[in-house]
Amino acid sequence: MFAIETKTLTKKFKEKTAVNAINLKINKGELFALLGTNGAGKTTTIKMLSTLILPTSGDIKINGLDILKDRQKIKEILNVSPQETAIASNLTVMENLEFMAGVYQIKNKQQKIDELIKIFKLNEVIKQKAKTLSGGWQRKVSIAISLINEPKILFLDEPTLGLDVISRKELWKVIKELKGKITIMLTTHYMEEAESLSDRIGIMANGDLIDVGTSEELIKKSNTKDFEDAFVKIATGGEL
Amino acid sequence: MMRALNFSKRNFKELIRDPLSTIFALILPLFLLFIFQTIKIPSEQFNIENFTPGIIVFGSSFLTLFTSMLVSKDRASSLLIRLGVSPMKTTDYIFGYVLSFIPVIIIQNILFFILACFFGLQFSYSMILTVLTSIIIGMLYIVIGLLLGSCFNDKTAPPLSSIIIQLVCFTSGMYFPKEMVGDIFAKICGYLPFESCVTIIKGIMNNTIEIISLKNIVVFVVYTIVILVLSIIVFKKKMISDNN
Ligand SMILES: Nc1ncnc2c1ncn2[C@@H]1O[C@H](COP(=O)(O)OP(=O)(O)OP(=O)(O)O)[C@@H](O)[C@H]1O
Ligand SMILES: [Mg+2]
Repeated sequence: MFAIETKTLTKKFKEKTAVNAINLKINKGELFALLGTNGAGKTTTIKMLSTLILPTSGDIKINGLDILKDRQKIKEILNVSPQETAIASNLTVMENLEFMAGVYQIKNKQQKIDELIKIFKLNEVIKQKAKTLSGGWQRKVSIAISLINEPKILFLDEPTLGLDVISRKELWKVIKELKGKITIMLTTHYMEEAESLSDRIGIMANGDLIDVGTSEELIKKSNTKDFEDAFVKIATGGEL
Repeated sequence: MMRALNFSKRNFKELIRDPLSTIFALILPLFLLFIFQTIKIPSEQFNIENFTPGIIVFGSSFLTLFTSMLVSKDRASSLLIRLGVSPMKTTDYIFGYVLSFIPVIIIQNILFFILACFFGLQFSYSMILTVLTSIIIGMLYIVIGLLLGSCFNDKTAPPLSSIIIQLVCFTSGMYFPKEMVGDIFAKICGYLPFESCVTIIKGIMNNTIEIISLKNIVVFVVYTIVILVLSIIVFKKKMISDNN
């Protein structure tokens, strides 16, 4: 059984095809990076996989559960850190964590919250209202919240956007520690991030999933010297 | 239900941290009560027993504004993306919104009664019953806000809510009897729920239950239930299509 499996997954917005008949198989415990140019359809794919929007056509199975029939069960085992930071702006960081723990009805609430505070070093901002935090801190809180229900499947949409170098490296460490334990799909525009974190990489352009493989495989296939060149070649169809 | 309660806790915090609107919803009705009692207009309409119920309903109508503001703002924020993937159900949202406004109704009523007693309203146990009734009446204004907040964005929903507040002033009979304006107007008022709200509160507060007609209750209940059901349907639809 795959953690994520899609068959001809498609999303159309009126005439615009944002995601075009994607077939994906992601193993349990795998870290899969979804790369692509702006507007390639990464966020739309994540929104469909995470139950937020309905596909126009095609199937999705999460841990063998059907996205339409078992929606409620699937919601319990996944979580998302959206591309736009998603926190309650008038609540403090602590209240945000407590609120989301309540949304998921977490049993060992305090323990879980303490754990997240420690992992993300949230202590120095814990009493601050979310809207007064800097962008990078808001993002860290948003990512911390996405771990509150100990998801089996985690979607991170551009998690390191707006983080300083140190915070980025710290987040990488957190992600590496999660790796193998849970299934993670992340999107990023940083090639070295995809290369250093992921087991496999998928490259999207204009709604199509063009290629999937390890970074070495993709470099070899495209006959280039490094991954950045490989990405450019694959995403543009060799035009650049 | 625990999820609804958790959500309402957050909504209530959101509400009191934006104190301007709350203060407005308390101060304005209190101010009107004060003014109309101080200038002593020689009309039955403005007797403290008749005017206080109007003020209570007028105060409740601010809940439409609060609710529509909160719901439309939430819909525009990415927090709802996060909640959209969570196991929260539509009913959790709706009840979460509804529950968070009950404390506001209670606080309003207590303050109104304190001022009304100062102007000669006799303290009685029917006031406690009135507070409970106000909570039920308040449901109507909350569900109207839910509907407006689900249908319209955060620019359009607040002005539309103000129209509801105006409607309450003019069609509830709190300032003038509807017959004064004419037959057609009086008929329309009879089919809008606002006069029924005032009549129900009046009957309970003054221990004159006989003035509450079956029509009053039916009109109130039908409006509340129909709008509640509509807002659940619209909210559910929008929850997916906003992100579509
Ligand atoms: N709600 C919507 N209505 C209409 N079109 C949409 C909607 N959401 C996304 N699109 C379109 O679908 C396409 C894919 O968008 P998507 O957000 O998935 O791209 P992305 O790969 O995440 O890009 P980025 O790297 O910029 O985040 C874009 O052309 C976008 O304009
Ligand atoms: Mg995106």
